[in-house]
Amino acid sequence: MRTRLNRLGRNIWQARYIYMLLIPGLLFFIIFHYVPMNGVVLAFKKFNARLGIWGSPSVGWANFERIFRTPDALTAIKNTFEINLSRLVFQFPAAIILALLLNEMRGTRTKRIYQTIYTFPHFLSWVVVSSILSNFLASGGLINSVIVSLGGTRVNFLADTALFRPLLYLTHNWKEMGWDSIIYMAAIAGIDPTLYEAATVDGAGRMQQVFHVTLPSILSTIVILFILQVGRIMNAGFEQIFYMQNPAVMKVSDVLDTYIYSITFKATPNYGFSAAVGLFKSAINLVMLLVANFAVKKASGSGLFA
Amino acid sequence: MTEIRKKSRLNRATGWDVLIVIILTLIAIMIFLPFYNAVVISLETNRAYALHPVSMYPVEFTLRNYAHLIEKGQIGVGYRNTIFITFAGTVLSMFAMVAMAYAFSRKRFPGKKFFFLLMMFTMFFSGGMIPTYLQFKNLGLINSVWAIILYSGVSAYNIIILKNGFEQTPPELEEAAKIDGANDLVIFLRVELPLQGALLATFTLFTAVGYWNEWFWSTLLINSGSKMTLQVVLKAIVAESAALEDVSTGEAGLDAFAQGIKMAAVMLTMVPIMCLYPFLQKYFVKGVLVGSVKM
Repeated sequence: MRTRLNRLGRNIWQARYIYMLLIPGLLFFIIFHYVPMNGVVLAFKKFNARLGIWGSPSVGWANFERIFRTPDALTAIKNTFEINLSRLVFQFPAAIILALLLNEMRGTRTKRIYQTIYTFPHFLSWVVVSSILSNFLASGGLINSVIVSLGGTRVNFLADTALFRPLLYLTHNWKEMGWDSIIYMAAIAGIDPTLYEAATVDGAGRMQQVFHVTLPSILSTIVILFILQVGRIMNAGFEQIFYMQNPAVMKVSDVLDTYIYSITFKATPNYGFSAAVGLFKSAINLVMLLVANFAVKKASGSGLFA
Repeated sequence: MTEIRKKSRLNRATGWDVLIVIILTLIAIMIFLPFYNAVVISLETNRAYALHPVSMYPVEFTLRNYAHLIEKGQIGVGYRNTIFITFAGTVLSMFAMVAMAYAFSRKRFPGKKFFFLLMMFTMFFSGGMIPTYLQFKNLGLINSVWAIILYSGVSAYNIIILKNGFEQTPPELEEAAKIDGANDLVIFLRVELPLQGALLATFTLFTAVGYWNEWFWSTLLINSGSKMTLQVVLKAIVAESAALEDVSTGEAGLDAFAQGIKMAAVMLTMVPIMCLYPFLQKYFVKGVLVGSVKM
């Protein structure tokens, strides 16, 4: 026992510089992540600024029960699920398809020029992107002018409840598709060339090579990114929706993040209730991540946490 | 594969090739056009915009939209604050992330697993907006640019990727340094950092762009006009466009106008990123690549 303790002590002493290097990062995570995590007790309290988080009276699960009695909150939950499931369908594959198309294109030089264009919007903020795109889609904007000159009638894209969600997916792809495809391009570049040679010998055409060599080879990358995406199921992309949202489309666009934001910063905020909605969201995210990871592990033998 | 590729290049382009080029070109145009349209409008006079809302070039070239913004001064304040936040934040965050990543790349030390999980857990669970906001309040960081500097640059995800990068250093180099009597700190400074130049450059650029684009906490925490960041200023300009509308009535329609001012503000916010983009592009494939797939 004593020798083991001695050994541990010696190992710790030997690693003293490593601990030194860990300190700034650990302080950051403790101060800005773990201390606020204690703040989730707020969700079980009726917050009183004078008494602070810990002094405020406890109300048990009342804040959570209130979520299910508040129509706006229920709408936000429903919208969050619907929008994110659609994002998995309309956004997740876009980057994969783009990577496959780029890979099939000839000429390294042209490929690079195209990638330069595709990736650029990723580095801009949503304030910038939404300003540029709403200018483009405005009723006096370029798209509408083209529609009119072709004999159509103006479409108010941003205020149409039927068009708002498709626009969300479209504009997200516009901004992020190129960036997201890089990781798949990298995975494709790492495929063993002999696989293609063998496929050619077997008489596989280019289309067949895509489906029987390229796609299976990058499957593990796709799976990992899919799990991570499912783990964010309740984060509906706050900034994007926040900028594109307007009163006309509130009913189809209000998600949990925007809902929390609006109830927290209105005249009489109820911090306890806001925190409860936030905790509800975080908890579902965590559960979804674990479920997705478990399912994939069962199916393919390898998950995120190997 | 090179041989096959060479062979196929000799073949003439098939219908499949043409289709791919057409699709990819259309996508590229759809991405480029909104930017170009914004540039044109920002350089247009009110009168010309009213007559030709859609044009491939500024019909009446003017810099008044930009002049109006610069005279108003908000943009200048935003620039000053954002540049300070970006510099200070990038230096501090990179220091914390790189040091932590290097520590986690060491083979074993007591508590490594525990500390690593402690960090990783923050990727999947957070206290949420209100508790984080109250923490800023407790720390006296409301209405302080230091809140943004300290909070928004460090990411567990980047630390993991940096760690994977450090793990790729050939072990012989460290062994040699160890035999010469170097401790972990010396190895970190003299062996690892110089070797990982490209990786560090990548993440420095990513972190800087992240600070430049930060909006959410800036808008929540900073409420005095003199401390506003560029993105918050831009958002305000875009939002108050209705109020700007009356600017456009003056001087026979030659003056600045709401849409032109909005697009000029967008351009001014974008310019530094555009200047940085060639460097970003040189490195980002590497940054995405290094170990991000194997967590």
